[in-house]
Amino acid sequence: MYQYDAIDREFLVDRSNEFRGQVQRRLAGELTEDQFKPLRLMNGLYLQLHAYMLRVAIPYGSLNAAQVRRLAWIARTYDKGYGHMTTRQNIQFNWVKLKDAPDILDALAQVDLHAIQTSGNCIRNTTSDPYAGATAEEVDDPRVWCEVIRQWSTLHPEFSYLPRKFKIAVTASARDRTAAKVHDIGLMLRRARDGSLGFEEIVGGGQGRTPHVGPTIKEHLPVGRLLSYLEAVLRVYNRHGRRDNIYKARIKILVAALGAEEFGRQVEEEWAKIDAARADLPDTELARIRGAFASTPFETLPAVSEAFEAARVASPALQRFVRNNLKPHKKPGYAIVEISLKAQGQTPGDVTADQLDVAADLAERYGLNDVRVTHAQNLVLPHVKLDDLPAVHAALAAAGLATANIDLASDIIACPGLDYCALANARAIGVAQDIAAKFADEDRAETVGELKIKISGCINACGHHHVAHIGILGVDKKGEEFYQLSLGGSGAEDASIGKILGPALPADKVAGAIDTLVEAYLGLRTGEERFLDTYRRVGLEPFKEAVYVQAD
Amino acid sequence: MKAITANRLLDGEVVFWKAGQWVDAFGDAQLFDHDDAAVEAAVATGKGQPTVVVDVYPIDLTPSEGHWAPVSYRERIRALGPTNEPTHGKQAEGGEAIDALRHAAGAARSTGRVDLIRRK
Repeated sequence: MYQYDAIDREFLVDRSNEFRGQVQRRLAGELTEDQFKPLRLMNGLYLQLHAYMLRVAIPYGSLNAAQVRRLAWIARTYDKGYGHMTTRQNIQFNWVKLKDAPDILDALAQVDLHAIQTSGNCIRNTTSDPYAGATAEEVDDPRVWCEVIRQWSTLHPEFSYLPRKFKIAVTASARDRTAAKVHDIGLMLRRARDGSLGFEEIVGGGQGRTPHVGPTIKEHLPVGRLLSYLEAVLRVYNRHGRRDNIYKARIKILVAALGAEEFGRQVEEEWAKIDAARADLPDTELARIRGAFASTPFETLPAVSEAFEAARVASPALQRFVRNNLKPHKKPGYAIVEISLKAQGQTPGDVTADQLDVAADLAERYGLNDVRVTHAQNLVLPHVKLDDLPAVHAALAAAGLATANIDLASDIIACPGLDYCALANARAIGVAQDIAAKFADEDRAETVGELKIKISGCINACGHHHVAHIGILGVDKKGEEFYQLSLGGSGAEDASIGKILGPALPADKVAGAIDTLVEAYLGLRTGEERFLDTYRRVGLEPFKEAVYVQAD
Repeated sequence: MKAITANRLLDGEVVFWKAGQWVDAFGDAQLFDHDDAAVEAAVATGKGQPTVVVDVYPIDLTPSEGHWAPVSYRERIRALGPTNEPTHGKQAEGGEAIDALRHAAGAARSTGRVDLIRRK
C-alpha cells in the first residue's frame, strides 16, 4: 500500500486547518452560504435532507486496518453508528454536523484519509479494480497508475474548475470491475504483442440523464505518456466543454457533439504541443510509487488446503459462501474474499461501526492488512489464505457479514434515494429491500444466477441503473413515487445502456415485476445463459409482455 | 394551510418556524391558514438569519388523523427521518403527531422546494 510521506501529511493538516477557519467564518457570518457552499463541497461536505453528509475518499478503493477502524470510530462518534459505501469507492456519513466537520477531517488526516476530490467540478477520486494486486487476470497493478493520477490530479490548479465533475477509472483486467466504459475517462491497461504496456483510452462515457458508453479514442497509449495525454484530454475539455448548461457540461456531451474521431484529433493536436519532459512522470518517481505496491508479503503455499477442503465439506453455509463470494487469487493457497453488504433487510452499502471493526480485525489477522471497497457497495479482503477461510467465514457470519450473494439478484446497488438525498425524486432503499426479499431463498437466488439489479432515486443515476441487467429509476409523478424499469444494461467489459421496458410502475408493484421478469427469464434461458445473455438473445418483447400483460 | 421549514446551519437539522423561533418538531410548527402575507413575512425574516438557518421555504399541508402533515412525500420524510431506519431522526420520539405524519397520504411536489431550486 502507498504510504503518505511528510509532505502529504502536512498538506492534509493544512487543508483541515483551512477548512476549520472557513467554517468559523461561515458561522460568524463573514461568509455567505453562496460563498461557503463551494468551499464545503471541496471538502466533501453536502447538506442533505436531515443533516450534513460527509463523503470521504477511498482512493482506488484501498484501505488498511487502521483506516477502517478510524472510519468505524467516526461512525460511532459523529454519525449514528453507520457508514454508507457509495458506488464510486467512497464512504458517506449521513448525520454529520457542520460544527464537527473540521474535527472529522483532522481524525481522517491522522490516518492519511481525506474528503478531497469527492465533490466539485474537479477530477474526482479514481476508481479501480477492487481485486488489484490479487487477481491473476491483470497485466499490471492498476493501483500504481491510480496513485500516479491521484498525486497529479489532487488540487491540480488547471483542472480544479472544470465545466463539470470528472471521473476516471483504471482497470488492468479483461474483466472490468470498475465500470470504466461509463466514466469520463476509462483506462484499460493492455499488453501489446511486443510486450509493451499501454492504456486503451476510453473518453466520454457516462450515466446521468444522457447515458453513453464511451468510445475509444486511443488504442494503445504507452504507459509512460499517461499524464501528458490526460493533460491534453482535460485541456480540450476545459476549453470546449459547455459551461452554459449544467446538463450538457460533462465531457460525454462534447465527445458526442464533436464525434470521437474529431475529439481524438484535437487531443492529439494538443498532446503534440505538450512538453513531455515536463508533463510525464519521471521513471524514478514511477519506480518509487510502484515500489509501494510491490512488497505484499505472500507466503509460498500449496495450491490446495486440506483444512479448508475438510471444512467446506462439513459446512453447507461455507460451501455456499465459497461458491458465491470467493474469487481466484494469483498466488497458490490464497483467495479473494468478497464481503456482501446486502444482507436481507440491510440498507445496500450500509455498514455498522462494529462490522467495520470486524473487517479491520480480519484484515489484520488474516488478510495482509488490506481491505477494499467495491463500486457495487461491498467490501473485499483481497488476500486470505485458504487455510484461514473457515475462521474468516465464521467471524464474518458472527458479524452478519457472510451473506453469500455476490452478483446475485439480492446483491442490489441502490443510491441513498429520497430517504437521505436532497436531489432524489423517489426512494431507492425500500425498493431494494423489497426486491431482495423476493430472493431470500438462497437456493432460488443461485438458480437464477448472475443478475445485476441497480436502483437510482433520480436521473443523476448514482445507482447505475442505466448499466444494470435490470435497472430501476425512481421518478416523481405528481408527487408520487413511480419506478421505470430498463433491461439489458451492463457496466462491465461488455458495457451497454439498458432499454426502458414500459410505463413506470408504482412502488408496491416493483418487486413483483422483478419477480415476473426473473420467472420469464427462467422460462426462456438456454444452457448457462445469464439473465443478460438471454435478454440479448430474445430482446425486450417477451419481458415486456410478461410484466405488462400481468399488470393489466 | 402552510408551514415554513429550513435546515439549521450548525448541524443541518430540519427545523420549522414557530412565532419567530425555529423548532425541531413539525408538530410544534406554526400553521398559516390562508395568510400569504404572514408566510412571506416569516420567510423573509428567516432568510435574514443566514447564520441560523439555510434554505428557508414554505410547505403546503394536508389534514391527517386530526393533525396536519406536509402534502409532499419529500417533506414528510424531512419531518420524520429516513424510512429505512425508523429509529433515526425526528420519528424516534414517536407520538400522535409523528403517527399522523406517517399515515398521511397526500401527494404533490414540494412547491416551496421547487421554487428554491428554480431560483438557484
